[in-house]
Amino acid sequence: MFKNWIELGLKKGFSDVEIYSTRSKSLSIEVYQGKVENLTTSDVEKAKIRAVYDEKLVSFVLEDLSNEAVNKAFDQLILNAKALTVKEPAIIFEGSPSYPEVKENDFNFDKVPVADKISYLVDLEKHILANEFVKQVDVASYSENYGETTIINSKGLNLSKKHNFAYAYAVGVFEKNGDIKTGYDIKLAKTFDDFDAKADAQMAIDDGLSKLDGKSIKTKQYETVFSAKKFGEMLSVFSGLFSGEAAYRKITALKDKKGEQIAVKGFNLWDDPLNELAPFQNSFDDEGVASNPKKIIDDGVFTGFLHSLKTAKLFNEEPTGNAFGGGISPAGLYLAPGEKDFDALIQDIEEGFYVTDLVGLHAGVNHASGNFSLQAGGMLIKNGKLDHAVKMVVLSGNWFDLLMQIKGIANDLTFAVSGVGSPTVHVGKLTVSGEDK
Amino acid sequence: MLTKEQLHTLLDLGLKTGADFSEIFLEDTYRGTISVNNGDVISVSSGNTYGVGVRLLKGIDEVYGYSNDTSYASIEKLMKTLSGSFEGKPNHAKPLGEKQPFTYTIKIPHHAMTPEQKSKTLIELSNIIKNHDDKIIQAGATLIEWEQKVLIANSNGIYQDDIRTYTRAALTAVAQDGQLMQDAYDAPGRAMGFELFDAIDFKALAKEVAESVMTYLYADNMEPQEMPVVIHNGFGGVIFHEAVGHPLETSAVSKGLSPFAGKLGQKVASELVTAYDNGDEADQWGRTNFDDEGKKTQKNLLIEKGILKGYLSDYRSGKRMNYESTGSARRQNYKYPPTSRMNTTYIENGTENYEDIIKDTKYGLFAKKLGGGTVNPATGEYNFAVMEGYMIEDGKLTKPVRGAMLIGHGAETIQLIDRVANNKSYGQGMCGAASGSIPTDVGQPTIRVSKMLVGGQGGNK
Repeated sequence: MFKNWIELGLKKGFSDVEIYSTRSKSLSIEVYQGKVENLTTSDVEKAKIRAVYDEKLVSFVLEDLSNEAVNKAFDQLILNAKALTVKEPAIIFEGSPSYPEVKENDFNFDKVPVADKISYLVDLEKHILANEFVKQVDVASYSENYGETTIINSKGLNLSKKHNFAYAYAVGVFEKNGDIKTGYDIKLAKTFDDFDAKADAQMAIDDGLSKLDGKSIKTKQYETVFSAKKFGEMLSVFSGLFSGEAAYRKITALKDKKGEQIAVKGFNLWDDPLNELAPFQNSFDDEGVASNPKKIIDDGVFTGFLHSLKTAKLFNEEPTGNAFGGGISPAGLYLAPGEKDFDALIQDIEEGFYVTDLVGLHAGVNHASGNFSLQAGGMLIKNGKLDHAVKMVVLSGNWFDLLMQIKGIANDLTFAVSGVGSPTVHVGKLTVSGEDK
Repeated sequence: MLTKEQLHTLLDLGLKTGADFSEIFLEDTYRGTISVNNGDVISVSSGNTYGVGVRLLKGIDEVYGYSNDTSYASIEKLMKTLSGSFEGKPNHAKPLGEKQPFTYTIKIPHHAMTPEQKSKTLIELSNIIKNHDDKIIQAGATLIEWEQKVLIANSNGIYQDDIRTYTRAALTAVAQDGQLMQDAYDAPGRAMGFELFDAIDFKALAKEVAESVMTYLYADNMEPQEMPVVIHNGFGGVIFHEAVGHPLETSAVSKGLSPFAGKLGQKVASELVTAYDNGDEADQWGRTNFDDEGKKTQKNLLIEKGILKGYLSDYRSGKRMNYESTGSARRQNYKYPPTSRMNTTYIENGTENYEDIIKDTKYGLFAKKLGGGTVNPATGEYNFAVMEGYMIEDGKLTKPVRGAMLIGHGAETIQLIDRVANNKSYGQGMCGAASGSIPTDVGQPTIRVSKMLVGGQGGNK
């Protein structure tokens, strides 16, 4: 089918045509009060046409795959190309010399009966409800996904890859002395046996219990330690700074910083799409460029931007295999671990704030300036040990200052479901807004 | 295109194994985006969202399936697969009724102009921002438009189509001076075609965005403290939307996961607060003719003088708590089963001039424009970034402050509203929740909250 589309595009006057297509199937189940409350199945095939007309690159995403719709799409793309005024490289890729081998996960969720998935969720809910402080479980949810991606183009590229995974989570509503908190954790699995209702319930319970009995703390600067997960989220939120597109548009503060010290010595940030510790591996990006591991920050020094085909050409550098979803993003971001364990990392902190909860990262972050102000929760650190829970404070600082004042990186590298990995990090002093001074 | 008879046959098939409700949602959506930066058209993209969603209910148990294959055979297969989840005596679908008519009010439909013609307006706006100051390094104007055509048929006899046309323009500015960098934006939208640009003075707005970015480029950081906060009209209503609107959706209320569950008729807010959600306000961004279950949209009273009067409900969540649908069932597209959502939600006007509220505030923050934020519906905890803020000292706006973050509990905050002005206006956003991302308006007149925790970095930078 897609070969015919390419021919049609060439006949209509496009100089190059590429079809990026995905087929995705999913099943999701929600259990509430011991019963299946929602079960959803899906099967969707999507195609994105990328085509060059008059040296301009344009794209169209289709879910209506009928001949009529494809024909109309090409006509629209000609109009779209005519409106473009900017002169930028328009590249359809002939392919990388070679592609890394990535072990494809062969978890076939069709083989596991739906009833087993339901009983896992029923058990998960039951185990969480068994905790004395749990008022109810909002939802226990399971989701499995299977996908195939294919890229073919008029330059002879023909690549495909598969992915499949499943995840589950439950949200417990905890109550103690009138104070209500929610606790949850996501379990990502590559085979159904990875799910363990009791252990997975415990993760949600631990999260909920850690937030109970929380107090606000006085407004001032605290020595601040981010949990591995939360520092990973911060790395992820600010990863747009490394985008070659942002550098080209001059909207990243790193635009003239290649080769400069932007973090403390000992800070090593990798983008490794092939890392086997991460939940996903990737052999090529959405433009068909082969993936490869690279250090973005090497001993505190910024080594260079992540590039698509276009930005690589603009900067006269090599594409880095980081073009995803029409933009540029890391494919396997992680901060290399240090040597101290968690206890050693906090033992010299007289009074500090251990951050385990950050809310509203899409809103409270200024990407241009690096300033952030975020709703936060966690634990107070007193005389080198965790003391009581801290709730509802605002944590503020500047990302670029923070990178330069990091005091310690622990050895507990953890990968989140998002694919970003980080250890616990002691970042030095940040402002906490809580009770009046 | 399926006939009415075919749809009825399929709906009936879904009820064969005991389901008591079946529904077919067909969608054909066309969308386009044109981005202009510093006077250049840098990208023009288009696409469609096309498919079918099938839903069966037995009581409140729900099964859902979706596909981009909308053929009879594909829907028949989905019906058979989904009905396999239920066991019981067969039910029958009522004959499909007649479509209710609606008026297509769009003056300049999306297809009536070429991207090149549309881009002229955007280039002009981008240039207004860019030419405002040499320190503005990026001046963006992006047009976002889509038209969603839906057909909804269900076993209760509903047979309804609807066309939703959306047009929005986002203006953005980034300014830089040495190490200082700042951004600003505004993005109004309406249920309109390209006539949006006649309805709203975008040139004035472009100038405002440019002025704002220059003001905040040199502003001091917010000093963290508890203080009265005067929240301005329009997008300021986002706090009410997040902290009160979401917990009034029956999807949360029916499970008891809301501080407002079981409180109808009780005082839940300051008596100065009267609030509505309107699904049918002409040309508004959050409006649809019919909801995503095919029910006519309506204006719903939520709170009257502080007393809780109503919730927002879809068919299924309503069934759980014996509450009739308020025409509030919404979904992003066929990939989501619908649930109770907001349309155009607002606090009603009071009687005061907003200038008087500022004049009467000895010390506090004027949150002129809010940015994004989040709320945890189960706990009511929320956070909102202040995009444009000014300190109020002795009743006067003294200096701009940046990086302020408001946090609190929704149910407590609405009790602390002590002043309400008479200048209600709306702001537009995309609201994300269980049934996806949908266009909604938030709105309010200027209000004052007597005490809020305002976070910030402090110091000069």
